[in-house]
Amino acid sequence: MQAQPLRMALTIGGIALCVVLMLFLLSVYRGVADGSIEYIRSNKTDLWVLQGGATNILRGSSILSTGHGNLLRDIPGIQSVSPILFLLSTIKKGSQTSTVYLTGYDVTTGIGSPPQLLEGRHVQDDGEIVLDHSFAAKFQFNVGDQVVTREDTLQVVGISARTNMFVIQYAFVTLRQAQSQIGYPGLVTCYLVKVQDPSTIAAIRERIRDELPGLEVYDHEEFLRNNIREMQSGFLPLLYTIAAIGGIVLTTILSLILSINILEGRKDFAVMKTLGSPRRFLHGLIFKQGLQISSAGCIVALVLFFPVVRLIERLAPEVSTKTSLEQISGVMLAVWGISIFSSLLAVRRVRRIYTLEAFT
Amino acid sequence: MNQPENRSEIVRLENVSKVFGVNGHGMTAVQAVTLSLSAGELVLLLGPSGSGKTTLLTLMAGLIEPSEGSVSLFGDDVGEYSEEELQRLRARRLRFIFQNFLLIESLSVLENITLVLRFAGKEAGEARLAARNLLRQFDIDRLADRYPAKLSQGEKQRVAIARAIANGAELIIADEPSASLELSQGLEIIMLLRSLAKEGNRCVVVASHDLRLVEFADRVFRMRDGAIDEEVRVSGHATRSG
Repeated sequence: MQAQPLRMALTIGGIALCVVLMLFLLSVYRGVADGSIEYIRSNKTDLWVLQGGATNILRGSSILSTGHGNLLRDIPGIQSVSPILFLLSTIKKGSQTSTVYLTGYDVTTGIGSPPQLLEGRHVQDDGEIVLDHSFAAKFQFNVGDQVVTREDTLQVVGISARTNMFVIQYAFVTLRQAQSQIGYPGLVTCYLVKVQDPSTIAAIRERIRDELPGLEVYDHEEFLRNNIREMQSGFLPLLYTIAAIGGIVLTTILSLILSINILEGRKDFAVMKTLGSPRRFLHGLIFKQGLQISSAGCIVALVLFFPVVRLIERLAPEVSTKTSLEQISGVMLAVWGISIFSSLLAVRRVRRIYTLEAFT
Repeated sequence: MNQPENRSEIVRLENVSKVFGVNGHGMTAVQAVTLSLSAGELVLLLGPSGSGKTTLLTLMAGLIEPSEGSVSLFGDDVGEYSEEELQRLRARRLRFIFQNFLLIESLSVLENITLVLRFAGKEAGEARLAARNLLRQFDIDRLADRYPAKLSQGEKQRVAIARAIANGAELIIADEPSASLELSQGLEIIMLLRSLAKEGNRCVVVASHDLRLVEFADRVFRMRDGAIDEEVRVSGHATRSG
């Protein structure tokens, strides 16, 4: 292998690209998961109240009226009821139009606001908007700029983080501004309910169900789980498919290169067998070689990964990634697992090398 | 395994034949060979290419099974050894010197020797030390870190012999060891092998077509068409026509 530097470079390069692909997918997944769920996670409320049949806000619709809010406020033990309206809206920049997940919330309570601001401030009044940072970067919007959404011209007052769902990004306005876009001022998507005494959450939940039949009431954890499940069902099959393809390519590269090395070193293996090599020693050589090649691939991948991610994020700002040590360790372990599996496939070839071949 | 009745007997072949191929289209490589080889002797299997010398060597070493007859190695029938026992025999008591020496090209000289010592069960450090001592004994310790591609044929020959006697093998089987060597190197290797047989009380079997080696052997078996057609006892000057 060392005698074939080009082949070695191509092999290690191929493995490194597979590892980069796996790491990138995981990082995108973490980024999407974070961007999709963090909004819900950070708006820590006691109960989420939606229209009957609605389980989540990512891929479900719920329409409630402001009258529902008044009825909720009348229930004893409830401290606050904050309405939120989610709707798909468009933002224009020149000839370009892009869709945002417009979120109108009650700016007086602040419940429903972005989980993190990178620049500027939260919206305080109608005519203002907070944009997600990747959306803002893609369309080069800055704090102070004017954006046109449907008929309205709004001023960008803040840039938010952890609000990028990859295929779409959150944008934040006042509830009234959002309601004006759909033309029905009395409509909201859901209510976020806080109770006075946390020990009464379950009881109040039952009471809402009793008094307002036809509504769905979830505690915070359950609602979070529903949304995570929804996000994963849309994204994980794609992730698993691409990761599986990466794994198959990696296994193929490793098995192929190990098999070629065995075939090229066939005589050496025959000689070693004739000289009394224990079977485990020969198998160990294959496993060692597999681990060495895959480890080299992992090292190159780690060197390449972060610059590649930075480049992709610069070219496509909506691609938001999040990488952790656990992810890297997990991918490395997976690669070593694949290396062992590939070695097992290759080892069968050693069994078919006979001692007599040393004499031919 | 049982100890041999006669402790000096290393290999015994009784009416051994080897036929390659199946369904009646076989090619007889070795035919009805009976012989016994003992410690302390250098035995030459002499014959042209295709006469069955190499097949006979591999039968003696238990690398292949006879089609007929029996092969006894170190006192036990080869067929009674398990795969692991045969591997251990090859690692500890039996060694080969191949045509062109067949050193492992990707390993240095020191590693080539260390490798066989590791096969014999020595720990890494111990094997490395023993390999260095062996190279010193053969006066080739300067070659320790060189790779086979950088060695002359004569140097390869010495390394191959050092590898063969590492760990004190009792049976050394050499297949055409002088084939790729010049005359002087060929004679040097046969003299080395003879001294291994005599001073180390080993059984050394050499397969060759080189008539110049005859005078160094204790016994010479002339092979033709897979059969031994003549045994020449050089030291005792006794001959037997087959």
